[in-house]
Amino acid sequence: MRTFWVLLKKELRGFFVSPVAYIVLALVMVQNGFSFRAALSILETGSGSAGSIVKWTFDSGWFWLSYFFIFPLLTMRLFAEEKKLGTFETLFTAPVRAWQVVWSKYGAAMIFYCILWLPSLANFALVHSLTGGVVEMPEGELRGSYLILLLMGMFNIAVGCFASSLTSNQIVAAVISFTVSLMHYLAGIFILYVGRKVPEIFVDAVGYIASVEHIRTFTSGLIDTRPVVYYASLALLFLGFTHQVVEFRRWRP
Amino acid sequence: MIEVQDLTKQYAGRVAVDGISFFVRRGEIVGFLGPNGAGKSTTMRILSGYMPPTSGSALVAGHDVFRDSISVRKNVGYMPEMAPLYTDMRVKEYLHFRGELKGLGGRELRRRTGEVMDLCGVTDVRRRLIANLSKGYRQRVALADALIHRPPLLILDEPTNGLDPTQIRHVREMLLDLRDQHTVLLSTHILSEVEQICDRVIMIHHGRIRACDTPRNLKNQLRAAAAVHLELQGNGKVIKELEKLPGVRKAVEEEPLEGWRVINVRVEARNDIREAILDLATREKWRVRELHQQLPSLEDVFVELAASDAPPRNT
Repeated sequence: MRTFWVLLKKELRGFFVSPVAYIVLALVMVQNGFSFRAALSILETGSGSAGSIVKWTFDSGWFWLSYFFIFPLLTMRLFAEEKKLGTFETLFTAPVRAWQVVWSKYGAAMIFYCILWLPSLANFALVHSLTGGVVEMPEGELRGSYLILLLMGMFNIAVGCFASSLTSNQIVAAVISFTVSLMHYLAGIFILYVGRKVPEIFVDAVGYIASVEHIRTFTSGLIDTRPVVYYASLALLFLGFTHQVVEFRRWRP
Repeated sequence: MIEVQDLTKQYAGRVAVDGISFFVRRGEIVGFLGPNGAGKSTTMRILSGYMPPTSGSALVAGHDVFRDSISVRKNVGYMPEMAPLYTDMRVKEYLHFRGELKGLGGRELRRRTGEVMDLCGVTDVRRRLIANLSKGYRQRVALADALIHRPPLLILDEPTNGLDPTQIRHVREMLLDLRDQHTVLLSTHILSEVEQICDRVIMIHHGRIRACDTPRNLKNQLRAAAAVHLELQGNGKVIKELEKLPGVRKAVEEEPLEGWRVINVRVEARNDIREAILDLATREKWRVRELHQQLPSLEDVFVELAASDAPPRNT
């Protein structure tokens, strides 16, 4: 366990010395700013749609515009760089186990991902204090929103780790990760919005994997356990794959 | 310290290491010698617990490299070829991290970090980013990393590769100093290095061990390349007469020097024909101004081994 903490510390440090991480942080802040501004304008015009400022912020086009750029940028470095530098050899000749390496990298990326969303809390806090609590900001919706962000992050970062473990080229890792994340998202909206002609049962099935639907539910303050299980198990599956790839060196004939 | 039995490693049908067996005793410095692609690095990677063998077994400090890889790694300080390091870290920070990873902590960790930095001469660059270090310094940082947890066994893959002559001498002296506390297995293709510091040499070519002995014995044993250098004045049939001598493989006439004929007499293994040549010269009334035996260097042995090309086995 001690080894895991040593590795986690080193991986986290890696995020804070890398310019890419700060670019992602800036990207997310800008995107938050736009979605928040859009939410505020709904409030200004009072254009009737149900919900609160929290829901309008996260269930908006602005949000999805940049969301899938986060994961490749955060995860592409994790394994690919070690392969490129050859440091896997030094790493795995120290007394460390593959799971410690995989989970420390994943953990560090998750921690940084969580940090990315902290500034968005400040938006709500600011509006709350400026308007003296007039703007409605339901606690349930806040919790739901950040929970679904965490869940989708768990899945997408696991995909990114897996992509990064496959190659020694960070660009390739980024492309794989971006493609898988985006495909997963598109599979969700494609049938729901375009494929009206497909059988009902199919639409229902796709509903289970549609991130758009999930975020709609959670930002309304409803905690649905199905997406929780869905994202958590997918994250575990992809981390399992990553572990296998990292261990492949030991088992290949 | 190391016991290797019938170790084989295949990559996708290509045999990199082909059933080798050897041992290394505690306190020995053993040199692994062979041309590029001979299987040196593969063997060292297996011994350091990085990857398992395809078949055969290897015990390091009493632990099996496959079943008990973690214990093996605790006992081994491994320095890979090309010294890969995290380029975004500073030297001291890196060694600190590596020490922690290898189980050091607290005061011991700080003390060892300072010690190995002093020992490897990187104290004055301890705040520099590894990305900005020269090859020589990186090599030394990697060596410091291998030493930090006081491993009983050091496995160094080409530790002097890319260093300048002064640095090479420094590393060599350091290894000799370390021999009291560490067993060392190092690979190299610099032969003088092996001759100077190794107790034993293991020559490996195409994944198989070709020779395993002390540098001195090895030279004696493989004296096939030995020759006698001869400068004389004599009649036309010198070459023919010399080649008649028992044990002579061939006599080659070289460029004459200041009116003297220069002849190189190739001799078969373990033959000393200097007296026979002198007797012959006296009998034939040749005038001899120089006669000396050329001892083979380890280099000759090496070249001979590399040239005797048994193709690699395919599966």
